[in-house]
Amino acid sequence: MDILQIVANGVPAGMMYGLVALGIVLIHNGTNVVHFGYGEQITLSAYIVVVLQVIFHVPFWLACLVSIVLSALFGLAIYLGILGPLRRTPLIVQIIATLAIGLGIREGLRAFMGPDPWPFPAIVANKVYDVHGVFITTANIVVVTVSIAIAALLFLFFRLSRYGHAILAACESPRGASIVGISVKQVSAAIWVLASVLAAVAALLMAPVLTLSPDMGLIAIKGFCAAILGGFVSLPGAIVGGVLLGLIETAAGYYISTATKDMVAYGALIAMVIFMPQGLLGKRQIKKV
Amino acid sequence: MNLRTFLKTALAGSLALATALPAYADSTGITPTSIKIGFIGSLTGPAAIWGSGNLAGAVLAFEQQNEAGGINGRKFEWVSIDDESSAPKGIAGFNKLVQTEQVFAVIGPSASAVGVPMKSVLASSGVPVIIPSFSSPDMTEPLIKNVFRTGTLNDRMQGRAIADYLVQILKLDRVAIMRQSDQYGATGAGAITDRLKELGKAPVAVETFNASDTDLTSQVLHLRGADPQAIVIYGYPAPSAIATRQIRELGIKSEIIGSSATSNQNYPEMVGKVGIGVKFVAVGDLPESDDKPMADFRAAFQKRYPDLARQGRPATSDVTGYGAAKNVIEALRRAGKDVTRENFMAALETFDGYSSGVTMPTYLSPTRHEGNSQMRIAIITPELTREILPGAIDAK
Repeated sequence: MDILQIVANGVPAGMMYGLVALGIVLIHNGTNVVHFGYGEQITLSAYIVVVLQVIFHVPFWLACLVSIVLSALFGLAIYLGILGPLRRTPLIVQIIATLAIGLGIREGLRAFMGPDPWPFPAIVANKVYDVHGVFITTANIVVVTVSIAIAALLFLFFRLSRYGHAILAACESPRGASIVGISVKQVSAAIWVLASVLAAVAALLMAPVLTLSPDMGLIAIKGFCAAILGGFVSLPGAIVGGVLLGLIETAAGYYISTATKDMVAYGALIAMVIFMPQGLLGKRQIKKV
Repeated sequence: MNLRTFLKTALAGSLALATALPAYADSTGITPTSIKIGFIGSLTGPAAIWGSGNLAGAVLAFEQQNEAGGINGRKFEWVSIDDESSAPKGIAGFNKLVQTEQVFAVIGPSASAVGVPMKSVLASSGVPVIIPSFSSPDMTEPLIKNVFRTGTLNDRMQGRAIADYLVQILKLDRVAIMRQSDQYGATGAGAITDRLKELGKAPVAVETFNASDTDLTSQVLHLRGADPQAIVIYGYPAPSAIATRQIRELGIKSEIIGSSATSNQNYPEMVGKVGIGVKFVAVGDLPESDDKPMADFRAAFQKRYPDLARQGRPATSDVTGYGAAKNVIEALRRAGKDVTRENFMAALETFDGYSSGVTMPTYLSPTRHEGNSQMRIAIITPELTREILPGAIDAK
């Protein structure tokens, strides 16, 4: 029965990695930026809810909506104020900029909200269901359902909508897209807004489960692993990579040793990079030189 | 004068000079009107959970003392340095306090991961160091002449006391341990295991987790298979909250007791309703207590730091910082007007149950620099508040 419990808990744990990976992949696909501060953006969105509730006594659901809006504006500000102007700089400069954004958010939160963890309300009251000896929580059900829904919506958006096609085109060939009238700047801004909305939604799902603290964003390390496992360019791949990582971790912890579960997970990641660099759902890219 | 006469005269003169001069008295950091105290602690980074509170509490105590006229005619001045939760920066910061700032004594550091690597630097400096909150036994066992600890309880003593509580008071046989993978968790879990063996038992399971872990399913499933009557969680507040939730969510109904790090004021709400009845170690009165000394401290703290009050503080780290500073103040009072580092440390060693009012009584002596020797057990109530259970448990 323990194997079923490993699946029941490993899948939602992995879905959370997948949610983070979705945002990272989205930004990377749309703007070619690898956003190392994305985990902290998620944390910031959760803190916005806490601030609105504790200081301004805003009802929880309204606080969540405001957080989503503010997160979107923050993403736009990052693009317009930092990464937009840096778009022609070397990749390493952009990476350092995203690292600085993340560190700034993390230590800023520590300074202004304190280093202590904060309680964060669950969006649905948490109950535990005993399904023939396998315990399933509503929190985990919500994480899985919402993650799949978001991934599906994003997938359909990029596959079926004209705007989605425009974004993909702008990413694939910015010059070509400009020639046919697509504003690359607008597309990039839209990507940052979309990924930041996603960060806010992830925050609402993750904060009650992970415990909100300034260091909650460190989960992005696992998000990056999930993204790489999934191929780094594929949105469904991000979720699949996350789930795989969650299952590997939980199973390795149970069947091998809890002390080695991270080692096994990262070992699997290295093996993937060496033997299957395109990831699970990515495509092998061939460049003519 | 021949050579023999010269040598005799020189020897006699040297002896006379040596006996006439008093021993070298170090009063660095002391002026006729001021006492300069240094603070080294983690104000940023993951260990800020303790360092920022230690500083806030200590500053409040010194400000209160200055308002009351200072100590022996001198007012407190203080310099604080952030070690950024990093041992190398802690060493650099401590050296700056001692060599550049010329402080009289130092309060800190605030976390084991920073403090333990600083041990030899602290010891060789000879500067009085008062540790408010971190709990590694390495700093007091064996004793270091100039290093003292107040308020908290070291992990060796705490681990043993937890084992005594579970086996001798609750009469439980099957104890499991879930510990953080770092030195903090290893020391505490090792002490519990050792004490259980002395009591003729062994832990039924020992599981480890990283402070950054977000899912502990595999560990909890191992614990479930061991069918424990009690689970001790020895880790920081955030992963301990995840562990507590998952233990209950996976159907384990055994007793849960958290180490002193889980005495965080937000712990009950972080865990939620499944945390009702969970116990944890408290190394003194809870900051929310209505007992007069704590209530007075809380009122003063919240008035001084309205921003921190909004965060639900004071927290335990604020209390232990305040308590450490009160111990410093009392030792300076006992050392008298002509205070030196030597007679200040000698004064500390006279503490035989000195009470800061908010931390456990301090017992220090020339052979003992571990100030506290008791712990209390607190429980999460159905209203998700915290309550200290009657009685204190001696830690040996």
